[in-house]
Amino acid sequence: MIPFIARRLVQSLFVMLAVAALAFALFRFVGDPVSQMTGVETAPEDMARLRVELGLTDPVPVQFARFVGDLATFDFGYSYRTRQPVGEMIAERIPATLELGLVALLISLVVGVPGGVYAALKPRSAGTQALLIGTLIGVSVPTFVIGILLVFLFGVQLGWLPTFGRGGTVEIGPWRTSLLTLDGWRSLILPAITLGLYQLTLTLRLVRAEMMEVMRTDHIRFAMARGLPLRSIHYRHALGNTLVPVVTIVALQFGGVIAFSIVTESVFQWPGLGLLFLESIRFVDIPVMAVYLVLIGFVFVAINLLVDLLYAAIDPRIRVTGAA
Amino acid sequence: MMRPNLQVAALVGGIALAVPASAETFRWSSATDPQTMDPHAVNAAPVTSFLNNVYEGLVRRNAEMAIEPSLATSWAPLEGEDGWRFTLREGVTFHDGADFTADDVLFSYERAASEESDVRSWFAPVSEVQVVDDFAIDFVTNAPNPLFPDSIANFLIMDRGWAEANEATRPARDAENVATRDANGTGPFRLVSRDPGIETRLAPFDGWWDEAEHNVTEAIYTPIGNPATGLAALLSGEIDMISPIPLQDVAQVEGREGFQVLEGLETRVIMLGFGHDRQTLNYGADAGAPNPFLDARVRRAVALAVDVDTIDRVIMRGKSAPASQLLPAGLSGYSEANDAPLHFDEAGARALLAEAGYPDGFSFGLMCPNDRYINDEAVCRAVASMLARVGIDAELTAMPVRNYWEELRADNFDMYLLGWSPGTFDAEHPIRFLAATPNEETRVGSWNFGGYSNPRVDELLPQIQRELDPAARQAMLDEVSAILQAEVAYVPLYVEPLIWAAKDSVGLVQRPDNFFMLRWVTVN
Repeated sequence: MIPFIARRLVQSLFVMLAVAALAFALFRFVGDPVSQMTGVETAPEDMARLRVELGLTDPVPVQFARFVGDLATFDFGYSYRTRQPVGEMIAERIPATLELGLVALLISLVVGVPGGVYAALKPRSAGTQALLIGTLIGVSVPTFVIGILLVFLFGVQLGWLPTFGRGGTVEIGPWRTSLLTLDGWRSLILPAITLGLYQLTLTLRLVRAEMMEVMRTDHIRFAMARGLPLRSIHYRHALGNTLVPVVTIVALQFGGVIAFSIVTESVFQWPGLGLLFLESIRFVDIPVMAVYLVLIGFVFVAINLLVDLLYAAIDPRIRVTGAA
Repeated sequence: MMRPNLQVAALVGGIALAVPASAETFRWSSATDPQTMDPHAVNAAPVTSFLNNVYEGLVRRNAEMAIEPSLATSWAPLEGEDGWRFTLREGVTFHDGADFTADDVLFSYERAASEESDVRSWFAPVSEVQVVDDFAIDFVTNAPNPLFPDSIANFLIMDRGWAEANEATRPARDAENVATRDANGTGPFRLVSRDPGIETRLAPFDGWWDEAEHNVTEAIYTPIGNPATGLAALLSGEIDMISPIPLQDVAQVEGREGFQVLEGLETRVIMLGFGHDRQTLNYGADAGAPNPFLDARVRRAVALAVDVDTIDRVIMRGKSAPASQLLPAGLSGYSEANDAPLHFDEAGARALLAEAGYPDGFSFGLMCPNDRYINDEAVCRAVASMLARVGIDAELTAMPVRNYWEELRADNFDMYLLGWSPGTFDAEHPIRFLAATPNEETRVGSWNFGGYSNPRVDELLPQIQRELDPAARQAMLDEVSAILQAEVAYVPLYVEPLIWAAKDSVGLVQRPDNFFMLRWVTVN
């Protein structure tokens, strides 16, 4: 087991290096940070000096080595745009994105799991047809269109919910939360629905397919033949077996929810990581973009590593094939 | 450390939102958050516009853009040498209670003219600054400089004591200091809390020397990057004012009860520029062929072929104004003598092209930003199709502004689109940056990407800069303007519109430089 873990850790390290290299390579093309940092009247020689000060004139391998070295020592540098320490900026934005992602995930589970079960048990009902058509719309309409529609309906026309921002927030130590105020919750509803919708359709369809599969298996048939109550069959025996793969997929998708919150955060001016990343692109704020990309890479790598290790712990055959 | 206490700000926010917003809380929004609260670190409109509410200069601009006294009560040319003496206002205090004196002006000058500063170009003509007494200070210049008081309207004054106590004596360029997120000015509003990219709160300064015309008790600024989100926030009543709004949303705001649209002209002229300093074309099917734009007749043909009225009607929805010069009509130094724009004349354009030896036209590359000016890419497409009608084919490349300047500096264009707003609101400004032959040493022509060069213009510029007699100065400006028109150095297209939207209940002043001044806001 220990060699397996060690090997996976080394692999993850290489993946992270590759992500860092990719992130770094991208910055060659995002534009000129210095002309975004200065005004129109700045003399070319002042811009040239600033370029030297920022290390932008060094050879690319030197810049890359410095970038990796700084990351390894958790020195994230300063933002070109706000001049704040990047680590601090990212840390300030993480709560907003995590809360949004978790609530979106929660919505997708609370609606998606019962919806999927219902669709599996009553495949021919009108409700199921409506649900399936609904999920088709959910996957095919782009997130920003859904977001803007929700904003205009519930924010502008009906005036029930705020259209942007996090509303009232409360600080608990370093964590700024919007989950403890009514206003915060009102602000959270629309973006969470927007972000959770894709996840919801995925969960619903997955639960439905898995549930229908499980319902056809022998042990359910035997249970039915023995005359166990339907309720118990559906919710104790079938649903339990259905949820194992669903939980795996949903957990793996969480990284995606965080990474793809960019669109939702832009539509709702939600002050999280995604919005920070978008603003950073606009201003060619290379240090922030770099740390964001590496962080998102890290989230994916960490989740995958965790899943692999769990599987290996459960199933010895994976370790054996891995060693061969 | 004077860092704004976010916890307190958050609690205040909670309360403010729980109670229905009181009449005097004013919320406003625009697309770009000021990058810093340091008045000398970045010379960009979002920063200077915002900070003019918190800090003040020696002079300030009124609603009509004219210079009026602010921290200086009067100014006069020095006797015996070149420069200006500013008499300072007595009894002014900074937000932290410190007194304002000439020493603070000297300190701010040293800070703003330092190597770390992004506004040092304003002080290029200054050779020395001398404190006369607590309330008088001399700015000595290398040559007579009639425009100096006008050019420092955005030179904002900081308190020496505060900056020294907080180790912010120089602008922070690649790390932050206290002045990046905190402020201590003399202006009508003081900074209450600053949350970069999310929210910035201001409150009126009780000790302001001037009489307040506003009735705002709290002002909250939120940047909203997405235009649809910004419009929704206005229409749902969550914010009171937004600037600017996209042209295509004007009808939607006008159609609603309780909202107003404020329309005006910005001081920005949109123009086409040419590669004057290269022998061959860079782009298109004729890349490598001799550069036709070296011939003034070809440049004139371009000017005649572009139908500015159609661009105004179709793309700018009738809200722009045609331009004849590098600055809009009405600004200081504008040449009335050269007021007439070239009119659309397709046949004339064809004739000129044939005369220049291009009866069958040619193909070239047009560079254009797609997120810098109002509908910039659409304007370039229209220009390309209008030029195609007279037989010259523009191969259009549009890109985000973060890549654009780099491409232009690398000479990767045959023709390009540029917008220019004269920072001093005077005709000398575009001549210095756009028409003078580029020269690193004298720092002129830094935005003259096409390398336009005319010895007479280069000769006149320094004379214009020091001429004290308005009539003689205007005569020289008229001459430059006539040269630029005769040679078609640039093709000025139109003056960009400026469009804000607000609730009906809000009274505000729209200044042509797109600065938003809280001191004129009334909320009913």
